[in-house]
Amino acid sequence: MKLWNLALSNMKGSRSSIISLFFMIMIASILLNVSLTIAIKMNTFFDNKFEQLQEPNINLLLDRSDEQQVYYDYIKQDPRVAASERETVIWAAGRFSYGENDMSIGIAVQQAEHDRQLSPIKLVEQSSEPEATNGIYVPYDFKLNAGYQLGDPFTLHIDDQSFHYTIAGFFESAMMGMHNTGILKFYLPEEEFIKLEEHTADHGVLYSIKLQDSGQITGFLNDFTGEFPDPPGRSASAPLFTTLDSDIVKSVGSMTINIITMILMAFALVIIAVALIVIQFRVSNHITEGMNNIGVLKALGYTSYQVMLSILLQFVIITLSAGVLGAAISYLVLPVFGSVVTTLSGLLWSKSFLPLINLISIALILLLIVLVVVMSSLRIFRLPPVVALRGGIITHNFKKNRFPLDKVKGPLQLLLACKTTLTNMKQNFMISVIVTAITFASVFSVVLYYNIGKDKTAFIHLVGAETSNVMLQITDAADYEQVLTSLEQMEHMTKVAVLDMTSMKVDGQSFYMNISDDYSKLNNQLVYEGRYPKYDNEIAVSWVVASALNKTIGDMVEVEAGELKSNYLITGLSQSISNLGQMTYMTVSGAKQVLPHYEGTLLNLYIEGVDNTSFIQQLKAQFGHDITNIIDVTDTIQSQSKIYTSAVFTVMVTVLVITFLVVVLILYLVIKKMILQRKKELGVLRSLGYTTFQLMSQISLSFLPVVVLSVLLGGGLGAIYTNPLLSVLLSSAGVRNVQFIINIPLILFVCIALILLSYVISFLASYGIKKITTRRLMIEE
Amino acid sequence: MSDSLIVTEKLCKTYSSGGNQQHVLKNLDLTLQNGDFTVIMGASGSGKSTLLYALSGMDQPTLGSIIVNNQNISKLSQDQLALFRRKHCGFIFQHINLLDHMSVLDNILASGLLVSRDKKEVVKRAKELLLKVGLLEKDWGKFPSQLSGGEAQRVGIVRALINRPQIVFADEPTGALNSSSSDAVLDILSSFNENGQSIVMVTHDLKTALRGNRVLYLRDGVICGDLSLDSYYNNNREQRQHQLQAFLNEMGW
Repeated sequence: MKLWNLALSNMKGSRSSIISLFFMIMIASILLNVSLTIAIKMNTFFDNKFEQLQEPNINLLLDRSDEQQVYYDYIKQDPRVAASERETVIWAAGRFSYGENDMSIGIAVQQAEHDRQLSPIKLVEQSSEPEATNGIYVPYDFKLNAGYQLGDPFTLHIDDQSFHYTIAGFFESAMMGMHNTGILKFYLPEEEFIKLEEHTADHGVLYSIKLQDSGQITGFLNDFTGEFPDPPGRSASAPLFTTLDSDIVKSVGSMTINIITMILMAFALVIIAVALIVIQFRVSNHITEGMNNIGVLKALGYTSYQVMLSILLQFVIITLSAGVLGAAISYLVLPVFGSVVTTLSGLLWSKSFLPLINLISIALILLLIVLVVVMSSLRIFRLPPVVALRGGIITHNFKKNRFPLDKVKGPLQLLLACKTTLTNMKQNFMISVIVTAITFASVFSVVLYYNIGKDKTAFIHLVGAETSNVMLQITDAADYEQVLTSLEQMEHMTKVAVLDMTSMKVDGQSFYMNISDDYSKLNNQLVYEGRYPKYDNEIAVSWVVASALNKTIGDMVEVEAGELKSNYLITGLSQSISNLGQMTYMTVSGAKQVLPHYEGTLLNLYIEGVDNTSFIQQLKAQFGHDITNIIDVTDTIQSQSKIYTSAVFTVMVTVLVITFLVVVLILYLVIKKMILQRKKELGVLRSLGYTTFQLMSQISLSFLPVVVLSVLLGGGLGAIYTNPLLSVLLSSAGVRNVQFIINIPLILFVCIALILLSYVISFLASYGIKKITTRRLMIEE
Repeated sequence: MSDSLIVTEKLCKTYSSGGNQQHVLKNLDLTLQNGDFTVIMGASGSGKSTLLYALSGMDQPTLGSIIVNNQNISKLSQDQLALFRRKHCGFIFQHINLLDHMSVLDNILASGLLVSRDKKEVVKRAKELLLKVGLLEKDWGKFPSQLSGGEAQRVGIVRALINRPQIVFADEPTGALNSSSSDAVLDILSSFNENGQSIVMVTHDLKTALRGNRVLYLRDGVICGDLSLDSYYNNNREQRQHQLQAFLNEMGW
């Protein structure tokens, strides 16, 4: 009980610094709880969703005209298949309004009433009015990210036709429920489905496959596509089967979420580190200032251990209460981040109570704080009572008189502020470390937001998308050379590049193969080591593929497509987030070694001086019958990347707000302490005639050099190391080398804002000087 | 004939603490003359330092007025009092209160440069004053912790005089010093007073009080005795001492 009383009396004497510390630990607890909860739930989020929504592991889509009975027979008879379903669908390239842009994407339209065991329709919201005659059910993503509401009109463009519907409901689906996998599904009531089927030629078949073991997805797909390869002469951009599997869905859906979680967790650790530094500072000061009291306690018979415990107890009290409150508040904050997960995945985030995570986070913070307090208090053990009573071991430190007022030029306030700066080096070091760290975090988050929310070029290139203006697919029947020549001669056209994608086997493993006539034409140069292939016996691979094949630049690989095989020399290594980082590249001439009839029918068009929409009209007018599909790439990228923008914006705001709070807390804490310690000195200065404003200016100016240097250091480190750090964070997603734009003016703006904020806060925090009067100098005997 | 420097009218100071009120100064009427070395004496708790702080603008009275140079300083705000103090007053503390992290010269310039922007002139005056009080150039770069009590208080005196104040207020300036240092400090104060510097000093020491030419005795916040003495340099110290002793006995000191 006596130690408890001691601890409480310690706390009473420093209310404001306790409150500041409390808030800091609470913020750290909130961040840690949120990030741990999301990280742990994300481990099983998609698996649970697949289970809950009864999703298949694999969806295979093909043209109905290409279907053979043997395909489904193979699926049904495969021992790895636990369940399978076949369904007729509309399988087409669709275009629709998505937010402020148009989105062009592969779509599968299914009948709403169809009785299916795998992926049955799960409505999140449904129109309460009697079903509109032209109702359509769209993925929940459309409500979250595209701004649609129940009852809104929805127009689906397929080929050159427009089909008008009314939103009758939003459904939740893991497979084909989010545009970031490249395929979306819709449901139509039977009547509308039949009408659509009658009006389009895009008739497809959907196979839904549930495996006994989800670990067999790759093996099954390899065997299936091996058994049923694309027939010779089939366009590589229109393969026989379009596949989507749960591994891709999980990877794509969780990538950004995992990055955000890692950032939040790292920031939580930064805040904890800040709190630990502050605690160390506080304990050290407490011992120095309370040296006499420690001497008295020891003289009374308290052991060093008991004295240390009384100090430790106050921090345990603060940590437990702040930690518990932080954990409780995290449940209020989690829905915000939960909504980010929902936005990015299209799947509903469910609230849950995870007391174990709360306990772990509180325990972690408590453990670290206990360690720091114990280590900082060790010198108590080395203090004999008589030494402590005399104020400890005093060393005479005859320092140099910095900034001598008679010699140095400058305003008096500034010179006095500089003197103060140099007499508080320990404290300045603490502030410097903290401000550098949080500036780094702020710059990191701002760079991330700039590249994902503003100038998205680098981000889109990271994802692997080619930033052309328009993508054009020409028919197999078209005169390829003539169309190509005509395109190149079109007004506003700057370049035309073939960029196809198909599936091939490389050293026995199936990967996506990019095929281009000239990789140097592409805006997105993904090869970071070596070069793209130029000749027909060359290939480039992503580093993930290289690792999987245990090959590198200069090694030979065997590529197989259909019945043919050929050897290729690896010339370069690339990186890409898409397709789990697995990508390979060869030339058109190289593709012809294994696909003799190959012609690149998927063309990327780069234009200048005209908008995409007008240009697409020109293309339709000029090449009408030769075109299978046209996609406005700019619009599609804008619409698809929007979800990442809002998610990263949330993270950036969180980091910046917490940075602001930490700066305020730290400066308030330090200045309050400084005013207390310098009470007498400030009273003397007041007696000499210094006004409140002058004293406040001195104090706030004394922090300025430290803050400026630390912010510039943190900003500089952020500018230099954001990309390397991101490379590390994204390495599991297939990235080796991030080249995000480091917008120096923006970083400078952040740094200047932080400096100004710090100055203003320190000025306001030093307002407590007003309470210091000269009366306290009076000694009335 | 000296003119009025400070005039107080019904000066009151009350301290409140936890619902209790302590009336330290009660309706004090006082006039201090220019050029005087006024000593305020009284028993412990009589209100001497409170009166000194009020007269010097270091503390605000509860009621009443304090007129200095036709300016009523009793209604001034804290910052206005700071501006008043820097121009008109110099203060010498019992515990000296030099700024630990500044050298001797910087301690003085921190006060001097607050009033004058002519750094050359201020530095010159500071050095002259330091020499006058017996501190040599080798001492000017030292820190307060490197000085003796007497040396530090001499720095305190120079700091109080650097801006040519109308009045120097001294609160037990020798209270923390040994006798030889005390004598040295008092000699300095007397010499400046002889050159016309007005000084108001609080003391409870008879020897120190003899330096003044006017002694006010405070009891329970009221002036109950006012003694005029010849100048300290008039060479009749024994007579002065007897006069003061009799006065203090009468006051019940």
